[in-house]
Amino acid sequence: MTGLADTFQPSTFVDAFRFIGDNGWLIWHKTVEQLVLSGSAMGVAIGIAIPLGVWLGHVHRGSFAAINVSNVGRALPSLAVIAIALPFLGVGFWDVLLALVVLAVPLMLTNAYVAVDEVDRDVVEAARGMGMRGRDILLRVELPLALPLLFAGIRTAAVYVVSTATIAAIAGGGGLGDIIVNQASYRLEGVIGAAICVAALAILADFLLGIVQYLVSPRGLRRRPAFEPDLAKAIPLPGP
Amino acid sequence: MSGILAGGPVIPNFGTGSHCVTHNDLFCADWVRDNWHGVLEPALVQHIELSAKAVAIGFAIAFVAAVAARRARLVETPFRLFSAFVYTIPSLALFQLLIPITGLTDTTVEIALVGYTLLILFRNILAGLRSVPEDVLESARGMGLTATQILWRIELPLALPSIVAGVRIATVSTISLATIAAFVRPIGLGYPIFIAIGDDIFKTELIAAGVLAVALALVSDVVLVLVQRLLTPWVRARAA
Amino acid sequence: MIRKHTRRAAKAAFCVSFGVAIVLGGLTAGALSAPKAQPTIKLGSKNFTEEYVLAELYKQALQAKGFKVESKGSLGSSELADTALTSGKINMYPEYTGVIVLDLAHKASPKTADATFRAAKAFEQSRGFTVLNRTPFFDTDSVAVLTSTAAKYGLHTISDIAKFKGTFRYAGYPECPIRITCGLGLTKIYGLKNISFLTIGTIPVTTLIDQHKADGGDIFSTQPELASGKYAVLTDTKHIFGFQNVVPVVSKQLVTQLGPKFSSTVNAVSAKLTVQAMIAMNKAVAIDKKSPAAVASAFLKANGLK
Repeated sequence: MTGLADTFQPSTFVDAFRFIGDNGWLIWHKTVEQLVLSGSAMGVAIGIAIPLGVWLGHVHRGSFAAINVSNVGRALPSLAVIAIALPFLGVGFWDVLLALVVLAVPLMLTNAYVAVDEVDRDVVEAARGMGMRGRDILLRVELPLALPLLFAGIRTAAVYVVSTATIAAIAGGGGLGDIIVNQASYRLEGVIGAAICVAALAILADFLLGIVQYLVSPRGLRRRPAFEPDLAKAIPLPGP
Repeated sequence: MSGILAGGPVIPNFGTGSHCVTHNDLFCADWVRDNWHGVLEPALVQHIELSAKAVAIGFAIAFVAAVAARRARLVETPFRLFSAFVYTIPSLALFQLLIPITGLTDTTVEIALVGYTLLILFRNILAGLRSVPEDVLESARGMGLTATQILWRIELPLALPSIVAGVRIATVSTISLATIAAFVRPIGLGYPIFIAIGDDIFKTELIAAGVLAVALALVSDVVLVLVQRLLTPWVRARAA
Repeated sequence: MIRKHTRRAAKAAFCVSFGVAIVLGGLTAGALSAPKAQPTIKLGSKNFTEEYVLAELYKQALQAKGFKVESKGSLGSSELADTALTSGKINMYPEYTGVIVLDLAHKASPKTADATFRAAKAFEQSRGFTVLNRTPFFDTDSVAVLTSTAAKYGLHTISDIAKFKGTFRYAGYPECPIRITCGLGLTKIYGLKNISFLTIGTIPVTTLIDQHKADGGDIFSTQPELASGKYAVLTDTKHIFGFQNVVPVVSKQLVTQLGPKFSSTVNAVSAKLTVQAMIAMNKAVAIDKKSPAAVASAFLKANGLK
């Protein structure tokens, strides 16, 4: 609970950029921490959500579960998850990792499910007519067609995870939040500087994953990558 | 001053904590019972007020902006950019940035929370308004309805599903963000969480406040689903 | 396409929700711009148990005498509380005399508690504030390590940290590395080279030591955790921690506006705050998990201050 009360002038923003320049090593170190945390969370979440969502979509079962788990999941405040898990996991990396996984799984699960479930049944039938069986249909027909939407889920989740990882500092998880919660040492310009870095990371993650999304989409389904998360399609989350 | 020649203080018996509490066991129901009225209930009530006000004010602003944007496209881009910009600022930082401007007050917290609702609400309201088919509007104009009449009688009812969906998402994410507000003001369910973290990870308080925040988010989500069904019965009827 | 009554219902619902939005917005605006008759005491605190208790004590005693007190909650470190004070966001908070002299005024530590109090008062008065009477109790920062760590490396004084094998991870409040009463003192005055600072936002030092995230850290002498025997306190042979009595720092203007009754109310509370009283209250909050408000209320009532 560091409240604060620094003075604030327009020049503070200039100072914020100066802070980033003058504290390159610190910023770099904290950015790496933030990325390691976010990357690990995304890795675990992808490992859980994508196979499960794709499989449920493939067998066209569990729509109630796939949609509702994610409705429940997206309602969970990250700080509350961190709080509830603290007594079990202790302060630091693992506690925050759990909260970020809880944040990311629902988004990706729903998107993966919907993406595979909604692949044109006629196309699947045609593939079956050509003698393809379950596994082949999934890998060679459904997945390629589902990839754009599936990847949209991953992309949105990544943006939320990267920016939410900032609150890791509250539970001793490191990252750029360490600077943001420590106005006493870094002054308001440090807080703003670190916030700019978090925003830049989120935008960068979105942009890079947008390019990947474009590249993995079958040629006929390619859309120009948008520069902001597709909030209409994937369900927006308690985020920043 | 010779007036205050008082002797030593009387140290009253403050009462001792139960074995569970003094040993910081996983969950002490007695602490929750003893502190419900003093700590948890007020925090819960504050959290509800904080979130409800933010969504209400955010809705009013986003609604006016969306109606304006529907009339004049000129309004759309600046407002969309502004709300997207606000959305990228990490909440931990935004609460701090506002303090030099609006002071150590609840207004500071409220402004930040309102800011975060704008993007989602604006998008959904505008998307809802735009979903009205052009020929419907055309025939309404043919019937001699004024622009205001068209807005209230045709556009808004048709936009309602999208609007209510937006309110639902905005509410849930506001409840989540409001927990972080306790970083700068001693209000809401985040406050007992921050206190408990600072109090040698007091497990009972962390779990109690965390569970309350999660429950509040889930209950609000369910209530809004019901509101959604009540306000827009035709959506389900059509689907059936 | 849409039946008429549905449309009407939807419209009504819309009007209602919109109306509620406006009314709520209006209420907030109204509540926020309410006029102030008598100057309000905007009381802040720093972010640890003892400060929560002190803020509650002063707040409740003042309210009992009819003063208007607005609790601004915890502001974090002294540096932040000081900025809040100088920028007018608060006009009163409990501070430690040594911190005022060493960390806010950046002066060398006076040799006695009296001299420290006078220096603190002179500094605050030089910039439009003042301090009221100091408490009898004093509190000092000290360095705590696990008793087992102390035994393993033979640590008795702060200088002994040099004997620690590898880097000594020192956990302190975020402002520790820039304070002479903390990190700066360890590196500059003790000349310790094997120290790395763990600047933690919200996690208490004892938790970090318990969970082996830190080897030692900054602890207060009135902190009840010290009674558990789990931690050993290293002797401060070079006196970097100074003399720390608590004084309420208040704006001069507030003292003038509220008159002698204000000062006497605050001083009456401070006079009762002995070491035993403070440790008992800290224990009730930190160990027995009573709320600072309830503990403060019980203490004030027992002493006829409320």
